[in-house]
Amino acid sequence: MAAKKENEISIKNVDVQYGEPVGVVAAQSMGEPSTQMVLRTFHSAGIATTISSGLPRVIELVDARKKQASPTMIVPLDPKIKKNYDAVKKLAKKFQEVRIKDVILKHIENLKESKLELVLSKSKMEDNMLTEDQIIEKLTKKFSGISIEKKSNHLIISQKKAKDIHSTRIAFVHIMDFQLSGIKGINKAVIMQNDDESFYIFTSGSNISEAMQLEGVLSESIYSTDPFDVLKSYGVEAARNAIAYELKNTMQHEGVKVDFRHMGLIADSMTLTGTIIGVGRHGLAGTKASVFARAAYEETVKHFVNASIFGESDPLKGVSENVLIGKQIHVGTGLVKLAIKKEDLKKIKAEE
Amino acid sequence: MPSKNNASINEKCPVYLDGKLISYVKDGNEFVKEIRKNRRVGLISNEVNVYYDAKINEVHVNADNGRVRKPYIIVENGKSLYTPELKEKLKKGEIDFNYLVRHGVIEYLDAEEEENIYCALSEKDITEETTHLEIEPSIMFGVTVSSSVFPEFNNVGRHPIAWNFMKQSQGFYATNFNYRYDARAFLMYYPQEPLVTSSAYRTLNLNKHPAGQNFVVALSTYYGYNIKDALVLNKASVDRGLGRSVFFRTYSDEEIRYPGGQQDKFTIPPATAEGYRGEHVYAKLGEDGIVEPEVDTEEGDVIIGKVSPPRFLEEQTSYGVSEERVRDNSAELRSGESGVVDSVLLSESPGATKIVKVRIRSIKVPEAGDKFASRQSQKGVTALLVPQEDMPFTKDGIIPDLLLNPNSLPNRMTYGHMLEMLAGKAGSIEGKKFDGTAFSTNGSDAVKEYGRILQSHGFEEYGDEEFYDGRTGKKFDAKLFTGVVYFQRLWHMVSLKIQVRSRGPVQILTRQPTEGKPRKGGLKFGEMEREALIGYGASLVLKERMLDQSDKAPVWICKTCGDLGYFDYIKNTAVCPTCGSSDLEEVEISYAFKLLIDELKSMHILPRIKLKG
Repeated sequence: MAAKKENEISIKNVDVQYGEPVGVVAAQSMGEPSTQMVLRTFHSAGIATTISSGLPRVIELVDARKKQASPTMIVPLDPKIKKNYDAVKKLAKKFQEVRIKDVILKHIENLKESKLELVLSKSKMEDNMLTEDQIIEKLTKKFSGISIEKKSNHLIISQKKAKDIHSTRIAFVHIMDFQLSGIKGINKAVIMQNDDESFYIFTSGSNISEAMQLEGVLSESIYSTDPFDVLKSYGVEAARNAIAYELKNTMQHEGVKVDFRHMGLIADSMTLTGTIIGVGRHGLAGTKASVFARAAYEETVKHFVNASIFGESDPLKGVSENVLIGKQIHVGTGLVKLAIKKEDLKKIKAEE
Repeated sequence: MPSKNNASINEKCPVYLDGKLISYVKDGNEFVKEIRKNRRVGLISNEVNVYYDAKINEVHVNADNGRVRKPYIIVENGKSLYTPELKEKLKKGEIDFNYLVRHGVIEYLDAEEEENIYCALSEKDITEETTHLEIEPSIMFGVTVSSSVFPEFNNVGRHPIAWNFMKQSQGFYATNFNYRYDARAFLMYYPQEPLVTSSAYRTLNLNKHPAGQNFVVALSTYYGYNIKDALVLNKASVDRGLGRSVFFRTYSDEEIRYPGGQQDKFTIPPATAEGYRGEHVYAKLGEDGIVEPEVDTEEGDVIIGKVSPPRFLEEQTSYGVSEERVRDNSAELRSGESGVVDSVLLSESPGATKIVKVRIRSIKVPEAGDKFASRQSQKGVTALLVPQEDMPFTKDGIIPDLLLNPNSLPNRMTYGHMLEMLAGKAGSIEGKKFDGTAFSTNGSDAVKEYGRILQSHGFEEYGDEEFYDGRTGKKFDAKLFTGVVYFQRLWHMVSLKIQVRSRGPVQILTRQPTEGKPRKGGLKFGEMEREALIGYGASLVLKERMLDQSDKAPVWICKTCGDLGYFDYIKNTAVCPTCGSSDLEEVEISYAFKLLIDELKSMHILPRIKLKG
């Protein structure tokens, strides 16, 4: 009896009642303001990196796109170096991806003689803390079939065994694209300042697993806007937070007020399976148990055919299928059921 | 002409005739000037236009069709060629417009050549560089646009709205309206010429086809009844004929010939006809099966009785040719409409079949829900008709026809509306019409002029009058701005739009309620609405919308095999045709779901329904 009373109180005191369709409310709470976001999308001019924002960003997150338009990272630094600008600058250089094409002034392709002439830029090399010898060493290490000749600031690369022009051209493209230093996928690293005058690094492009290996980085607290990158390095709980906070930030940036718990719920259901799944027909909607619910959403024929082949049965527990056949839905007021059968009630009364 | 293969081609200017490269010239500008000179003298046709693009150094000569061109007065050496002498001659009728064109006073320019000119709006704007002069600034607008008044005082964004309203206005659309059988037409009872017009309005003789009336308008609220673009009308004004109009709708029908020698026939359908609607429906038809003129008709009344041959060919009976069966195919009055038969037209189609056109006339007196708009993009829907004695009145006893909410003016920035009110007021006192042609009014001068007229007749200079409340008789603290504005009655009227449904027809296939006014349909309860109810957790409301008020269907379901069965009323038992069992249960499901099951069955998928308990 005591336990029953306790339950009664707790049910009365909760903010969200039992049977509240929280998913629908969350979807509506996100969906309605996003329709307004399209109308007032504004362009913030003058910012170095263009971060995708507004409705496209929300769609990108909710669809769980593997390739994000513009992922970024916020890298907090070790307390030892975070107030030392020079040390931070040195570290930031290690982030930025540098390829051959980033350190040359121009290049001349001589396909006939299968020679590639690179005109190195001193200032660009200095910027990225590279020397000619380092470049030559790295190139010879990576590409076996080439010989490198140095002429003042010119590097003349020739293929030892030249095949046809096409393969030579491909080889040259590979050389131009060769990564000399930095982390793959990060094309810019900017030093930013906190309110307490300490520095942190802001990158365009995301690669947590490599960034956390660098000395001076607080490897356990890198923030990335790419949930898949977070998933890979920090696990699914972190990925859930990444999705939820990214949604929150995007909505906040547009000046739309949405309660965080709605976005938390969406992120929760997206990461429920241990990995990130989108909301669409390949993700959440496709995992619905009911044949009717899936068929009512998209690809009707496919689901009916498959259901008939495997002899599926539909227990009619969800919302969509009950609306379809015209039954009262098991949500809100429809959830309440008589716990005691009428006949049993008579028995109890008789006993009394 | 210089050759194409000139060595220094870059220094030459290419010449294009109708977009085709034909040659090069040394100096494009000089070349263009030469052509223009010759054109004005008459050596070259005046239909040729030439354009020099200094940026890319190209000359375009255009002589093809399809270019929109506009006349300009030529200005030479800072002087208009259209001299006062010519003006005098033109007034006397000694010369005409074409004379001016022929003699190089006026020339037509296309869109491209306009890029090369420096045009003055009026004669006093002419400087040394001026090459052309506008004949009249408002000529830059089209028919609808140039007939608006004081447009330069309004916000640009309001103009297209105002023109749209002009297009929707009811008026005196044709003088031969009595002989016309328009599918739908509106005719105003007492259309008036506006007190403020534009030059184009008069030139186009639009004053012979007015589409509105001059309303006495006061800017005032009225107990909240004209909040947010609602209008308050004076009931007495309406009773005197303000805004009253006639609505004509023509119903037409034809005796169509069918293959096989069969044909429709205009007649009162016999009671044996298929789809006979009952005797009372055909009561208003004459002997020939067509309704008589000046007969009152109501919704559902048949106005053209017609029988058609049956849809399917009949089988031969044993007695030879069977009795000829017919189908009722009469035209009835539209739902929600009524009126008097105005006239009936009998004619023949090109295919020599009989044609009937019946024109129904109904009088549309302004009522709550009808739309009005001024020519200054101020629209409103009538919310209340106030008896004259309850309307506010001035010390002179002037009672406005219409009360416009003053809040509708400031944020729309339609200053032209206030100017028209003043001009209309001054004009109505003096018995004079004022001009509101685009770019021809000096705002402050005009206001001064109107103020002088108003003052000389004992009115306030700036149009604001002292008013007394019609209900209490007390004087208002503030003065109300009052004036006369030309208001149009637009053809959006409640009587043609009102629609209700409690019960009604359903679609044959899905048994769901029909959609749309002509089918007496309901309003759609769509996906988003459904989702909203789920979000509320209002499961029974949802069930009512989606099932009880929609396509509820009782269905017999077999307890043994789960297939759909039926109830045999002769044997008084339920039957399952699949397994032969008679152990069935009656269940209420949506008909759409039953249809889904049937369609799945047709594709060799048999869904079985398991019943609980």
